[in-house]
Amino acid sequence: MVKIVDARGLPCPQPVILTRNALQEDDTVTSVVDNETAQRNVTRMAEKAGCAVRAEERDNGIYLHITREDVLLEETVSQPVPTLAGGPLVLVVPSEFMGRGEHPELGQILVRGFFHTLGEVEPLPETIIFFNSGVKLVVEGSPVLEDLQGLHERGVEILVCGTCLGYYELKEQMAIGEVSNMYTIAETMLRAGKVVSL
Amino acid sequence: MTDKQYAVILVYSTSYALRAEKVLKQAGISCKLIPVPRHLSSECGVCVRIERADQEAAFQVLRTARVEMERVHDI
Repeated sequence: MVKIVDARGLPCPQPVILTRNALQEDDTVTSVVDNETAQRNVTRMAEKAGCAVRAEERDNGIYLHITREDVLLEETVSQPVPTLAGGPLVLVVPSEFMGRGEHPELGQILVRGFFHTLGEVEPLPETIIFFNSGVKLVVEGSPVLEDLQGLHERGVEILVCGTCLGYYELKEQMAIGEVSNMYTIAETMLRAGKVVSL
Repeated sequence: MTDKQYAVILVYSTSYALRAEKVLKQAGISCKLIPVPRHLSSECGVCVRIERADQEAAFQVLRTARVEMERVHDI
């Protein structure tokens, strides 16, 4: 018996929460979503929890067939936090400026310089998370877009806070990265070996 | 990335760098404000990177806009 989670029309992060709850009770769950962002977020959560996901597009929604593989969800979720040496390097960008000061212009010069330099130094972060006004850096016309594209091509994951994009009404203008939610953002930060904040 | 050849124009202050970027963009010359490369200076500073092919046109624009240039390096 396959459990069906109808997450159509629900705002982020509801589809992820409902699917996660369903997976705690059943090994096979089909989540129905109606947009690509929900599809990506549910898929990522499920895959991180050790599930296989098969997407099927139908007229009335995207059906995500999720099957738990050998790994139990509880084990994955309650994994111990990796040690500093073991976890990935995560960069968080909480503002469109680097640092704080009375002159935003300087903060913008610095942030531009930082992302340019990031392409030339080691180590590369595994993930960069943009939130609060930091999301202004991932939209069309952003002065660091070209640098972010270069980093993305080299395999850096770029997560962007969906709440923040919505708040600034920038969802349509997003030019790079994946829209993410607080669950993924919090987990990515907590599981990091090191979090560097701009 | 790309096989474009670049040069950097070093200027005397951050505000000159910003002005240089502004007037170059207005003139349709592609440029980028970047930190001064480590091998050119150990001090914290920004400079304007342009494509070498645009160098003469860029000088012209900057002279007209009275942006004082310190020196130019190929990178």
